[in-house]
Amino acid sequence: MSFEQTTLDHPQASSSARKWRHGWDVLTVLTRRDIKAQYKRSFLGFGWALGGPLLQVIVFSTIFKDALGTQVHSYPCYVFVGVLVWGWFQSSLGGSVSLITGNFALARQPRFPLAMLPFVTVNVRFLHMAIALPLMFILLWCNGIYPTVAWLALPGLAVIQYLLCVGLAYPLASLNVLHRDTQHIVSVLLQLMMFVTPIFYRIEVVPEAMRNWFYLNPMVSMVAAWRSVLLDGVWPEAQPLWILGGIGLFFLVLGRKMFIAQSHRFVEEM
Amino acid sequence: MESRIIAEKVCKQYRPTSKGRSARQHAWALHDVSFSVAPGEMFGVVGANGAGKSTLLRLLGGVGRPSTGSIRVAGRIGALLDLAGGFLGDLTGRENAVLAGVVAGLLKREIEARMDQIVAFAELEEFIDEPVRTYSTGMMMRLAFSVAVHTDPEVLLVDEFLSVGDLAFQAKCHARIRALRDGGCAIVMVSHGMEQVRQLCDRVLWLRSGEVAALGTAEVVAGLYETEMREETLRRTPDGPKRTSGGLDLVPRENRFGTFEVELDSVVFHPGDMIFSGDALGVTLCYHAKVPVNSPVFAVSISKKDGTPCLDTNTHMARVEVPDLREKGERREIRFEIDRLELAAGNYFLDVGIFESDWKHAYDYHWHAYPFTVEGAPAHKGLLAPPCRWQFGGGKGT
Repeated sequence: MSFEQTTLDHPQASSSARKWRHGWDVLTVLTRRDIKAQYKRSFLGFGWALGGPLLQVIVFSTIFKDALGTQVHSYPCYVFVGVLVWGWFQSSLGGSVSLITGNFALARQPRFPLAMLPFVTVNVRFLHMAIALPLMFILLWCNGIYPTVAWLALPGLAVIQYLLCVGLAYPLASLNVLHRDTQHIVSVLLQLMMFVTPIFYRIEVVPEAMRNWFYLNPMVSMVAAWRSVLLDGVWPEAQPLWILGGIGLFFLVLGRKMFIAQSHRFVEEM
Repeated sequence: MESRIIAEKVCKQYRPTSKGRSARQHAWALHDVSFSVAPGEMFGVVGANGAGKSTLLRLLGGVGRPSTGSIRVAGRIGALLDLAGGFLGDLTGRENAVLAGVVAGLLKREIEARMDQIVAFAELEEFIDEPVRTYSTGMMMRLAFSVAVHTDPEVLLVDEFLSVGDLAFQAKCHARIRALRDGGCAIVMVSHGMEQVRQLCDRVLWLRSGEVAALGTAEVVAGLYETEMREETLRRTPDGPKRTSGGLDLVPRENRFGTFEVELDSVVFHPGDMIFSGDALGVTLCYHAKVPVNSPVFAVSISKKDGTPCLDTNTHMARVEVPDLREKGERREIRFEIDRLELAAGNYFLDVGIFESDWKHAYDYHWHAYPFTVEGAPAHKGLLAPPCRWQFGGGKGT
């Protein structure tokens, strides 16, 4: 039961520098492909990346302001941060489910590094969020919230969330090849998760007895960390972030290994 | 030189996808297949649909693993499998070419350095910055082919590439493939056309339901494959009553062969079965299917009584799109027309047949059942009687 593919007599192909370089090219070219394909033929183009979150913020802050927002300082900012951070997470996982099933041509390509695909998906969704960031900063400015030194933690938060998304994307993508139910389950779960993530309400609204259960949802701590940096201008609580980063890394390493070990079966299962 | 590809006792068994298919559980997609391909060798793979050709190509590409046995492939693999499958309509030809190149294993800067060559080969200079959705299928295939052959593969896996573009472009593809081979690239090519196999391949592997039916030089294996097709037809021909369809009596196994899953009902000559040399001749075949079949191949040939062939053509060779036969019993017609039949005067037979889409066997083949006569002045011997004359020239100056 052996299977080998030697590239020994082609020094160029086997050098690891080239491999990294190629991986980088795959990442950038595919990311650009996905972004372009999404917006090329729409009139508003990138405007949609702004329009979606903005609309959600308007809806939430008009409907729920009186019910939920009374104790929250500058409620629209509060909601906007939540919507953006959650949106990145949701669309990354939602998109990663169909990574393999939606990229049949790539899966068939001999020696294509399929393990790069989760990075591509998370990249694309990150860029969507990044487009809306300037609008968020303007909104913060208008509400009298100005940058503090704690904002230096923002790249770190992005890295942790990136790890978490990519890490979870690996098992989801490979699971969906074998069991197409995964995509339905994931979309239901994500919807459910959105309501147990404090996007338009404060975690304090949740009865104390249930609150601990809420922290099983990684996005509760994640959204709280973004908010404490952006809205309160203080450093986020470190402990939950270490845990989340650890979980992300764990899934990334293990999930990636499993993904690669499974990848030879992807095409025949489709 | 050492082999680029070594396959040893490769077996492949697919896991049953649903529980109800236990009967097929033990079907081997490939069973005990061994061969090797040297650098600069063109290796053909032939066989009917479902014989394991695509599975083999996929395993060679490393997309999937053999259940047992081993495959070793040395060098960079290029693939002409699903041309233009990964193209995105909204991106320009250039963007798609970069994408395809990177996907095939090149670095971005390497593919960009070759872009001019790629575009020139695909003959798409004017269109390369247009979105691919404005391309015709032929243009897309040309671009995809061009990218694939410019990635300097050391092993090239080809799935019937010759349907790319028009005849001139096909000739170019041939030349390019030969150049790659001469440069030391090992090429594995799946093909249905025995002529193509004879022309291009050095050695050929014939797969029959996943097992090696033959492995040897192209000439020998192609010959065996064609012979089996004829024998398979004979074996499958059922006994049946005599019938006629506008010509002589048709007797199964005597002048009528096939499985009769598709039947020829009538064969009608236009204007009739006696024409003058150089006249037009049309033949209308009426047929119906008894079971649904995928686009069958229609063949027509004209031969003399002793069997000397004068004309032999079919819808496969002529690249005619034949519709699938889905409706049982629905009667259909196909018409074959010759503008000028410049045959010498004499008696001829028209042989007609409907074949399985991969030439596995005949559905209904009528041999020497439709005689016709060509009238004309007996001014010469031989097969042809085109308009011709003698003329004196020269000698004016004396």
